[in-house]
Amino acid sequence: MTSTAMNAAAGTAPALEMHEVTKVYGEGENAITALASATISIGSNEMVALVGPSGSGKTTLLSIAGGLLAPTSGQVIVGGRDISHASPTELTEVRRNTVGFVFQSVNLVPFLTARENLLLVDELRGSRGKQSKARADRLLDELGLSKRLHNLPSQLSGGERQRVAIGRALMNEPALVLFDEPTSALDTQLGEQVMELIQSEVKGRGTAAIIITHDSRMTHWCDRTVRILDGRLQSDELATAG
Amino acid sequence: MFLALREIQRAKVRFILLVLAIGLLVFLVLFQIGLRDGLIGQFIGALRHQSAPVVVFDVQARKNIEGSRIDAGTQAALAQVSGVGRIGRLGESTFTVSNAVSRARATPKDQLVDAVLFGYEVTGPAAGLGAPTTLSKGHMPAGINEAVASERNRADGFDIGDVIHIEPGGADITVVGLAADINYSVSPTLFVSWDTFEAAKRVRNPDATAVLPSVMAVEPAAGVSVGVLVANLAAVPGVVPLSRADAVAQSPGVASVSQSLNTVIGLLVITALMVIGLFILILTVQKSASLTLMRAIGAHRRTLALTLVLQTTVVVLAGVIVGGAMMAAISPLLNSIGVSFDLVQLLVVGAGAIVVGWVGSLGAVLRVLRIEPINATVPQGMLR
Ligand SMILES: Nc1ncnc2c1ncn2[C@@H]1O[C@H](COP(=O)(O)OP(=O)(O)OP(=O)(O)O)[C@@H](O)[C@H]1O
Ligand SMILES: [Mg+2]
Repeated sequence: MTSTAMNAAAGTAPALEMHEVTKVYGEGENAITALASATISIGSNEMVALVGPSGSGKTTLLSIAGGLLAPTSGQVIVGGRDISHASPTELTEVRRNTVGFVFQSVNLVPFLTARENLLLVDELRGSRGKQSKARADRLLDELGLSKRLHNLPSQLSGGERQRVAIGRALMNEPALVLFDEPTSALDTQLGEQVMELIQSEVKGRGTAAIIITHDSRMTHWCDRTVRILDGRLQSDELATAG
Repeated sequence: MFLALREIQRAKVRFILLVLAIGLLVFLVLFQIGLRDGLIGQFIGALRHQSAPVVVFDVQARKNIEGSRIDAGTQAALAQVSGVGRIGRLGESTFTVSNAVSRARATPKDQLVDAVLFGYEVTGPAAGLGAPTTLSKGHMPAGINEAVASERNRADGFDIGDVIHIEPGGADITVVGLAADINYSVSPTLFVSWDTFEAAKRVRNPDATAVLPSVMAVEPAAGVSVGVLVANLAAVPGVVPLSRADAVAQSPGVASVSQSLNTVIGLLVITALMVIGLFILILTVQKSASLTLMRAIGAHRRTLALTLVLQTTVVVLAGVIVGGAMMAAISPLLNSIGVSFDLVQLLVVGAGAIVVGWVGSLGAVLRVLRIEPINATVPQGMLR
């Protein structure tokens, strides 16, 4: 059964659809094809692991899916909205409302507390007040951070920071959450804990997710694994979830 | 709002230092302006705060009232010029005086001081032309031997009720009113009737055939502008007619004093521009990773730019309050050199400081506008 068929069975629109998406960096002799005719569909409640060697185009795919980067060609539909030809301002709106990001490097604003980093997301969307605070507190509580609400990132451990980042990515109730190597900076045990949290948060919300990982031991938390090599999506296999 | 203020709150020391630096610069600007206006006021306040809109000098005097004399022929010629409404004599001269009566008793009875007398038409068709524009206390001289004195010197024997004796052996002039900022040449100054002035001149020079006015005070006829009147008067040979403001600005000494103090003020403004600009730019560069992250999670360019502008405004406003408070605290000690605290001036300087802050933060704003959200995907330290 293909993933598209699965979604059809579930009766919901896919969170992400990419058709023949190509991304070429640079021009002429220096042109690098980071993504070549990538076609993928991710169901509304599906968690997908994206694995591949360094430089294979994982971050590029994620960036295009999240509206950070415009594709050179092809069609991208996120949360039911075609963003293939969206303007920079429209892409900003997509990032703000439809997707959540956990980046490989900087994820938190250092001069804001854990709770304020979550509230910032709502602030940028122009909503604030009791509801936002309640949602932020609930998320941080689920992530085991209820005692760390008022700590600055510098006062948190690496694992705690990563959990705050996950909370921040979920704060705008996205259709699709994108994780770029969320466990690479953590040891195996912490990595497992974070993956478990990601899985319960994502699954508990009925949200779709793509998780880039180098570590094949982490893929079992996902519904399926997609491999990428030299910008080409390789196989599409169902995993036996956790 | 939330972002801008939170950051200031979390980096208090930095922002307090910036506020203090801006406060100091605002204070220095206020001080220099006060010094400039105070000095100019003490040199030429009498001319600035007299009522005649146009003053006519003798061309030989080079716009200096001390060296100017208008002879009878020229007086008659000026009166004939079209556009002249009223025209009167205005005399200026320095006299040695003593205090016959000083209620303050600050000055010993026999101590001699220099005072400047301005004689204007108290009666006749040009009555009141050349009088002080506003009195802070008392009334205008009604006739002979009465004076309005410069308020700055009230404690030196020039208060209402004090009697000033023209030496040697001249009239006793009673102070009946006070006016702020009517000093001339940093001396105690008395505005008296033309007759009082003429009598004082004759005491000093009994052989003089006629006492000539220093300048002519002129008021345009109804419907005639000051500019037109000045142009018409200029046709009379041997005179230089000037509007009141020009007479003040072009008075010898004033131009050079204000030029040098304006240069200092200009340097302070440039310093403020650099301090604010560099500070905000360094702050922006330091937090560029955070700004990139915010762009990546959906912050619009304008949101981040406005945050920066808001921060600059808050910091500059705080600096203006600090600088204003310093000026208000220190100005009582500076009254003797004519420097005073003026709220309107603070508001004008404050508005200027905010504009300087905005211009200064332009570099940082441009940097914020150029931030690429895609760089959030690049590991730190490897920004493309
Ligand atoms: N802005 C860019 N300009 C030019 N080439 C780029 C740019 N970004 C990525 N590339 C190239 O595109 C290819 C794919 O890069 P990408 O970052 O997507 O790889 P990745 O799979 O995420 O690698 P890693 O596991 O090391 O993070 C690489 O060859 C990279 O050098
Ligand atoms: Mg990558």
